[in-house]
Amino acid sequence: MGPLLGSHYEILGLEPTATFEQVERAYRYHIGVYSDSALATYSLLDPGERQIARAQVQEAYDVLKDPLRRRTYDVSIGLAPAPVPVSVTHDAAPPPRGVALEGPVTGAALRGFRERSGVSLKDIAERSKVGLRYLQYIEEDRHNDLPARVYLRGFLLEYARALGLEPARTADAYLATLPKR
Amino acid sequence: MSAPLAMPPPPAADARPQRQIWSVGGGKGGIGKSLLTASLGWQLAQLGKRVVLVDADLGGANLHTCLGLQNPKRTLGDFIQRRVAQIEDVLVETGQPGLRLVSGASDFLSAANINYAQKVRVLNRLRALDVDVVLIDLGAGTSYNIIDFFLISNLGLLTVVPEPTSVENGYRFIKSALYRKLRIATREGPARQLIDDALSQREGKGFKNPVELLNAVREIDPPAVDLMKKAMASFQPRFILNQVRAESDVAVGHHLVTACVRHLGIRASYAGFVHYDDAVWQAVRHRRLFVVEAPRSRASEEVRRLACGLLRGESLQLPW
Repeated sequence: MGPLLGSHYEILGLEPTATFEQVERAYRYHIGVYSDSALATYSLLDPGERQIARAQVQEAYDVLKDPLRRRTYDVSIGLAPAPVPVSVTHDAAPPPRGVALEGPVTGAALRGFRERSGVSLKDIAERSKVGLRYLQYIEEDRHNDLPARVYLRGFLLEYARALGLEPARTADAYLATLPKR
Repeated sequence: MSAPLAMPPPPAADARPQRQIWSVGGGKGGIGKSLLTASLGWQLAQLGKRVVLVDADLGGANLHTCLGLQNPKRTLGDFIQRRVAQIEDVLVETGQPGLRLVSGASDFLSAANINYAQKVRVLNRLRALDVDVVLIDLGAGTSYNIIDFFLISNLGLLTVVPEPTSVENGYRFIKSALYRKLRIATREGPARQLIDDALSQREGKGFKNPVELLNAVREIDPPAVDLMKKAMASFQPRFILNQVRAESDVAVGHHLVTACVRHLGIRASYAGFVHYDDAVWQAVRHRRLFVVEAPRSRASEEVRRLACGLLRGESLQLPW
């Protein structure tokens, strides 16, 4: 327990729907508030308390900036439902890492999940190195504009990874929604 | 981030809907409060409002000098001491249409110690003035007179400069004002005793902050906590950051709000900032207001922005 109370969101002064950029800016702001040279906290907190406050801000940021850790955190504080448990297959494949979406994995479903996670398409583009345009096509289910399957699967794996979804499962489920070529 | 948006202030009990009382305090002397208040009053009049400036800094009155006026013949002290019957009798024209002054000039220190009845009389007469804004320049420090004027205002503005001593005095002022408000809100009893302890304690002893006080009261007098929480919720001081020099100073205003909300449980907000500007001291030398002599200077633009923001009940928000 430090001088800052509440969830990681509250410590950074954010709504649970905060975007990645908002998390960044809130982090930098709050590190400034509790820096040793900050005028506003100099007489309210002693140096030890300010140091702990900065550590709390850092921890909140480290969790919220990482989509997978953030997702896990959201579940742990009851912000999001727990992911659907995956049944174990007999060939002892390693358990999939990441969340699995319920229902058909259409572009709309992916977009809904992304927005609920508070991640922008731009963030995904930056993180996954997949072009923004293709990500839009994927989410908009613009089947005619999607690239060839072999490339598309790669994009989908990257997209899923960036959101903390189970990559292979998600990619294959999306591909299953496409009309047969 | 959603720094708390300032709620519209409650109207004074017998007021016409538009008339507001604004007070400008600042725990420390020499931070430009009087100049800021005079300029703000002038700017509000420029915006078409009917304004009465009140120099409540008895014993240290400066507003008339800021406005370039000779020592007015009638002053607030005359009204308090009943040498005149009506407060209208001490209103002085300033040369700016829509802006009049109740001066504290030539009122010496004895006039500064007004008693409770006199204070109530002044407040009632100010409330009854037929104007849009009554803008009161409080003195420096945290005396009860200063704090009581601050508390009855629709807007309580606290001037701070980006220096550690000013910030420290600002917090001292805010805590004193809040404890006094809590005291007024609670009845005689154990809770009041704790509040008196908080008021009389030296820095570092007793309760570190209002939140700790609230927790202590919860142990011994739970019903009082609701009264106190209500009083705290309606205590919404606004910071004005004056004499800003470095760009990093501007963020100090936001930091102060964050610190007040998180660590004092106080719903402060950031009304605006004004840069240190050579145009200001140059105008002062000429005994003119900088908003008159240098209307397009940076400080003048910022006072105009401040005035507009205050009229709209807005405060600065963090930009994300």
